[in-house]
Amino acid sequence: MYTVHIPDGFLSTPVWVSLDAAAAPAVAWMSRRAQRGFDQAQAPLLGVMGAFVFAAQMVNFPVGAGTTGHLLGGALLAMTLGPVSASVVMTGILAIQALVFQDGGLLALGANVVNMAVLGVLAGYLPYALWGGTRWRKVSIFAGGALSVLVSAVLALSELLFSGVRMPASVLSVSLVLFLVSAVLEGAITLAVLESLERLQPRLVRQPEAGGSRAVGVVAVVAVLLASVGVLFASSAPDAIQQITHQSAAGTGTWLSKSGAGLAGIALIYGACLAIGRVASRNRSA
Amino acid sequence: MHHVVLDRWSRGNSPVHRRDPRAKILALAVFLIAVATAHRALLLLAPGLLLLLAATLIWARLPLAGVLARAAVVVPFAGVFALISGLAGDPARGLSLMAKSYLSALAVLVVGATTPLPALLRGFEMTGVPRFLLIVGQFLYRYLFVISEEAQHMRKAAAARGAAARDWMARDLRFRAAAGALGVLFARSHARAEDIHRAMLSRGFVGHFQPLEPIRFRRSDAAFAVLASLAPILVRIAVERAAR
Repeated sequence: MYTVHIPDGFLSTPVWVSLDAAAAPAVAWMSRRAQRGFDQAQAPLLGVMGAFVFAAQMVNFPVGAGTTGHLLGGALLAMTLGPVSASVVMTGILAIQALVFQDGGLLALGANVVNMAVLGVLAGYLPYALWGGTRWRKVSIFAGGALSVLVSAVLALSELLFSGVRMPASVLSVSLVLFLVSAVLEGAITLAVLESLERLQPRLVRQPEAGGSRAVGVVAVVAVLLASVGVLFASSAPDAIQQITHQSAAGTGTWLSKSGAGLAGIALIYGACLAIGRVASRNRSA
Repeated sequence: MHHVVLDRWSRGNSPVHRRDPRAKILALAVFLIAVATAHRALLLLAPGLLLLLAATLIWARLPLAGVLARAAVVVPFAGVFALISGLAGDPARGLSLMAKSYLSALAVLVVGATTPLPALLRGFEMTGVPRFLLIVGQFLYRYLFVISEEAQHMRKAAAARGAAARDWMARDLRFRAAAGALGVLFARSHARAEDIHRAMLSRGFVGHFQPLEPIRFRRSDAAFAVLASLAPILVRIAVERAAR
């Protein structure tokens, strides 16, 4: 019911440049992986499933008080096509939306891809991969849908704040509440659609592989949440960040200090992700 | 459906339509970056760049008002943020958000309205975007309308069976009915994709599309690429000089 496709002109230069730079290799890797994963039948399948996600917007789900919502689809695709293919489909959707429907910017495409197609889809698949095979299956499906929306929305919001878009605290809290409502709704829709699909054609639902390391998964979930919340907190006080950089780099222009702050923040997040990944892979090999 | 209008525009025949998609992609990239990195004298710069795009539209023989109105789909979203910025005591930023997002959307629309999507995606392929992703994009765009129509048929059928009479049906029940409809739509789309693939294989599909005619980068394309990329830069330099 509430998606954030960032248009061009909203993100500051360091933010969109670094997110484009992050998205490009990720997309290249995913397309190679998705193509290799199956046979050539993948291309028509992924395209048509992308069209399905578009069309799914026409099916309204009652929320209450006269409002309706619709499926956003990242988590559902991950649980049916697999996370990598789902990321490719979502990237395709975002690209077509930017090029044909002017929904989301072209320079901001990297940001939207990172938020929704990469991190949103991964966050949506994580609970299912971990607990989809246990008796917590239903909970994991719901959590996946909710998490995918929450992660994408919070990332988009924090990127906007990081770019210097000012928001009063009241607006911020209202949008966080809206995100939560959308997240719960997406979780409920994902669960209901997956259950109906399982009754219709069980073979279309991907069964999570058993034996995945639980510890790694917990670390990853916590990392996703921490990253999102941390980014939000850091950027909800952009004045503080600017002040620090002003003091440390007195005399240089504000543009330079702003971009420095942005890059430093992203480098920090990147470093944290890298460290967590290291620890996680060490856990697995041990 | 309103997207068909873009298909009709993009199949026109004008000097802009005939240019190599790569030339237009380059010019678009330069324009978008020139807008995104602009900070000073936006009140002068925005009309200048708007005139540039409008001139391109006239040159491409496209309906000016129609294209300008279509690009305005970004206005509600940008407007909300402009309002919030204004309330937060930063009306200048709100104005710049509006101007930048509208100009960027219009620039993308000008390229989309003068280049058929298959040609545009082919241009992106030749500039290094992964081919698999673009093939997925082609299928996505092609079947968007087919699957959407199927969804509309299902909605009509459900309404005919009484789904529109909302009062007597509990919300929980309606929720489940919608989920069931989406499940059916998912399964049908999946089956359709398999049919499509079989049909394409039987017609000799080798995993990617073979272009019927090679796109050639002519001298006129090079000239267009240079001029169209220089234009926004020159406008910006001139405006920022004048404002100093």
